[in-house]
Amino acid sequence: MKKLRFFTVSALFLLCLGTTQNALAYPIVSGISDNEINIDSSFDGQQILLFGAKRDAGDIVIAVRGPKKNFLVTKKEKLLGIWYNGERLKFKNTTSFYELFSTTYDHTNSHELKHLFSSLEIGKNELKFDISQKVSEAKSNEFYLRLVTDFENKNLYSPQTSKVDFLDETLFKVTLNFPKNISRGVYAVEIYLIDDGSLLSFQSIPIYVYQVGLGAKIVDFAYQQSFFYGLLAVAIALVFGWMVNFIFAKFFGK
Amino acid sequence: MQIYLPIAEIPVNVIVILALGLAAGFLAGMFGIGGGFIATPLLMFIGIPSAIAVATSTNQIIASSASGLLAQLRKGNVDVKMGIFLVLGGFIGSTIGVSIFRILQSTGHTDITIALIYVIFIGSVAITMLKESVRTILEKKYDIIWEGKKGKYLSKVLRKINDLPWKVHFPKSDVTVSAIVPITISIGIGILVALMGIGGGFLMIPAMIYILRMPSQVIVGTSLFQILFIASNATFLQAITNNSVDIVLAFLMIVSSAVGAQLGTRSGTKIDADKLRFFLAILLLVVCSKMVMILFSEPSHLYVVEVLKK
Repeated sequence: MKKLRFFTVSALFLLCLGTTQNALAYPIVSGISDNEINIDSSFDGQQILLFGAKRDAGDIVIAVRGPKKNFLVTKKEKLLGIWYNGERLKFKNTTSFYELFSTTYDHTNSHELKHLFSSLEIGKNELKFDISQKVSEAKSNEFYLRLVTDFENKNLYSPQTSKVDFLDETLFKVTLNFPKNISRGVYAVEIYLIDDGSLLSFQSIPIYVYQVGLGAKIVDFAYQQSFFYGLLAVAIALVFGWMVNFIFAKFFGK
Repeated sequence: MQIYLPIAEIPVNVIVILALGLAAGFLAGMFGIGGGFIATPLLMFIGIPSAIAVATSTNQIIASSASGLLAQLRKGNVDVKMGIFLVLGGFIGSTIGVSIFRILQSTGHTDITIALIYVIFIGSVAITMLKESVRTILEKKYDIIWEGKKGKYLSKVLRKINDLPWKVHFPKSDVTVSAIVPITISIGIGILVALMGIGGGFLMIPAMIYILRMPSQVIVGTSLFQILFIASNATFLQAITNNSVDIVLAFLMIVSSAVGAQLGTRSGTKIDADKLRFFLAILLLVVCSKMVMILFSEPSHLYVVEVLKK
């Protein structure tokens, strides 16, 4: 059912694209099948189809970025046989999700391209983050590597650059995979047209990831209204403690 | 039947939680203890983060003590004046305890500290209890009289306590004691309530008997009275400072352990008290050794990544 919808949406889009292509002055045009993801208790990941057309020569690079969050990496250490939390490093404003697609793979040779990718934060090694503590570069690299490996294991970072599928010379499509453990926030799908080390065109499409259901409401309540959450927790315990006692005393005797 | 715990951030089987609450409540009712002592480690054993296990247990203790307190109030077995002094110290203690908790959380030493405190407390309580129960069982069987040295030490302490100023008379218990004594005792117990997720009855009740010299009929009621207030304060503070109270988990525990406690109380009276203590001691030793194993077991990942909420 969902697949079918993807195809109708993309077919319609491509049809429109075909009729208006000459009227469009933009070097790339693209769209996505869905720009909203709702995480509920049964959420098991979602795929979103991105399709587009390019009118100029050049390589397409597509980056999907999740919202920036703060992370804590802790190293386990051993003392007298007992494991405890040793060194910790806090990574602030760190990209929580990152996926990269490209038509080309060898951008390592070109100096200009390297510079461009670094300034656009393209490639997982180019992502920027803040560290609040003062630590040596070796240490921050060690911990950052663990953070990235962890994200890759959780399918939050794509370990390699994936391919962009071309339907013909101009039309391309890409399937974006959002795993079940993504966090909520605004995601950005960024489409770059790059030729000869310079950026020709850029388009950004937002995807909104919401958390729905009772669980999300409880978390919001606990963190944003913790005063009333605390009172509610105490009240529930009092009422139910009394109720069970009452029911037992009434129906089963002392 | 899986359910996702929103604050603990893990999926759990509802049946497992209900069975756990029922078992903890049953043992609590049978042995006449609060149950946090058993519930908190069991929650940790099934994978609930220790901070959440502790805070959620304090929430559940409110329910069990409220339930018991109502019955005691009806019988008039509560020394309210003494209770208020104990609550005063308990408030200070539990507030200190939650603050210690906050420091542990921010430095990342919560898990190991809670596990170590549990090993030390459960271990020593279990061994003392085991010794006592074996001794009384033997005494009864073979008419052996053991020479007590404990009395001498205790009377020394009591003499010192008698010299303390600010004496207050408690008419219901008919004791006169310095206000410093109940407040100091309950500060110490209040800290443990917040750190361990327990009611602290196993320390409060002996203190009431031997140090405060209260008559036996008001002991359980007054203990429940102060536990209710201290656990409420600890739960509230844990929720606002550490966000560690999982209301869904607490709800499941409250309902199942309250039912368990009612069943436990009914079956407890049928079994011999000394044998009961012996079994509890063995049970606590098992919990203690499991906790020791956790401390020494190798973590599955040497580096742990977590998302910060704030």
